[in-house]
Amino acid sequence: MSREFKVGLFIVSTTIIILAALLYLANEKGLFAKVYTFTLSSKSGDGLTEGMPVVFSGFNIGKVSTLELNDKGLVLIKIKISQKHIKWIKADSAFILYRPLIGVARIVVTTNNLNSPPLPEDKIVVMETVNDINDAITKVQPLLEKITKIADNLEHLSNNLANPQGDLNLILGNAQKITTTLSTKKSLLEMAVADEESVQSIHEALKKIKDIVTKIDKIADKMDVQLYGQEGTLPNINIILKDIAGKLQKLDTTVDNINKIGKDTSEGMKDFRMLRSDIDDAVNAIDNVVKKLDNLISSKKDPEFKLP
Amino acid sequence: MDLLENIGRMGRKTAMSFIETISFAGMVIFRMFQPRTYNSAMRTVLINQIYFTSVQILPVFIFVSIVLGSFLIGIVFQLLKQMGLTGYFGNVLMGLIVAELSPFFTVLFITLRSASAINTEMAVMKVNGEIKTLEIFRIDVINYLLVPRIINGIISLVLLSSLFSIVLMFSGILFSWIIFDISVDVYSNILLSSANFSDMVISLIKCAVFGFFITLIPIRFGLRASREFTSIPIVVSSGMVNVFTAIIIIEVLSLITKLF
Repeated sequence: MSREFKVGLFIVSTTIIILAALLYLANEKGLFAKVYTFTLSSKSGDGLTEGMPVVFSGFNIGKVSTLELNDKGLVLIKIKISQKHIKWIKADSAFILYRPLIGVARIVVTTNNLNSPPLPEDKIVVMETVNDINDAITKVQPLLEKITKIADNLEHLSNNLANPQGDLNLILGNAQKITTTLSTKKSLLEMAVADEESVQSIHEALKKIKDIVTKIDKIADKMDVQLYGQEGTLPNINIILKDIAGKLQKLDTTVDNINKIGKDTSEGMKDFRMLRSDIDDAVNAIDNVVKKLDNLISSKKDPEFKLP
Repeated sequence: MDLLENIGRMGRKTAMSFIETISFAGMVIFRMFQPRTYNSAMRTVLINQIYFTSVQILPVFIFVSIVLGSFLIGIVFQLLKQMGLTGYFGNVLMGLIVAELSPFFTVLFITLRSASAINTEMAVMKVNGEIKTLEIFRIDVINYLLVPRIINGIISLVLLSSLFSIVLMFSGILFSWIIFDISVDVYSNILLSSANFSDMVISLIKCAVFGFFITLIPIRFGLRASREFTSIPIVVSSGMVNVFTAIIIIEVLSLITKLF
């Protein structure tokens, strides 16, 4: 092999390897694929940048190509999606600008129904915004206000402590006076009323109250025996009530029997009416016979009858 | 006062040297784009240069790439695993090892082997009066000596650095399987998602710039030699120092480019 051949072979083979690698990379990255452009709209362009990734289920499927401000003051965001990923963009797809607290802002695509029709390229879709930073600030704001109040209160307390005429120092002074007084008195009560005789009276009153309470306790015990004892009132009442309940049961049976008799009587009365009607008919018939007989007798000259 | 004078003199000298190097580079680039530069003699020199710089060392280079690259990837992957940064191994492999370390190791390799040789060759030719002889015979020194070596530097650096990257990526398959228990498919997907096309192009351009300057600077310093043999080590030494300075400056500039 000549030197020229070796050099030629080296250059050609290495160049082919490099070009093949670059072409493969370009192809896999979608450089030769058809790109679809969709337009989104937003009220604000905050956080939006050209080249920002468009993500579906955590995968990059495209990027923001241009940002424009239209006549109505709306920001128009043009996103480019390669043909490979166009299947994820549907008519019901939602586009959300996600600005995380940490990390790169991105447009997140969510498609609930993948069977819905494809999103037309000329349709302008409104983009929503999720802002972790502002959300965090909103959540932290009340907390900061509370912390500020606590700090103010702590400052107030420390100022009060530092001030000899402050409330806390006065309280401490008073506490010192109380403890000093307490150390010279026999009891807290004596310190409170500041008179030994009054303390004695209170003690006597308390003793009497104790005696009264003891008596009330004994009365309550007796009442308990009388009411709830074996021969007490309540057990007797219970027995009487049980007796009454037994008698009432018997009375129920008697009432039932009376009701039955009444019913039977009512039914008997029906027969009686029929009997009376028959008697009435018989009497009427006899009456008619008597009348006929009377007429017959009255029509004869000799109203004498020869009886057999 | 003397100190300030010395600092001023050094600064002026450095600035002049920088301007001269840039104007020299401009002249060489202009010649590179002239079709008449590529005559048969130049083409022969170019083929010889590529042969000596790339083809002749190819077995050694591939062996070094496999050994060095494998150890490098193994150590980096192990560190990532220990630090719990397994998810970033694709970015580290593509962004650091392939895009940064491959061109750097390649340029160091070529500089130590070829740039020093070119520097010495030019200095010796200058001392022996060969350059003067060529000029007497009306042979264009830039076209005959300089342009083939510089084009060789560009081609060799780009191709060898790419080979180094490819070897590293293949080593990565083995080590990601051993260390992370990652299959070839998953490895390919991670590499693809981590690979940035613009970074690759910047990396190739950086290699070309490396190749240009690691041959241009030794040639330029070699041609500064006087008629005395004692001037050879001086120009070779200063030439190599300047080459390494240029490598660092280009590396920093490429990092700045990536930042934006």
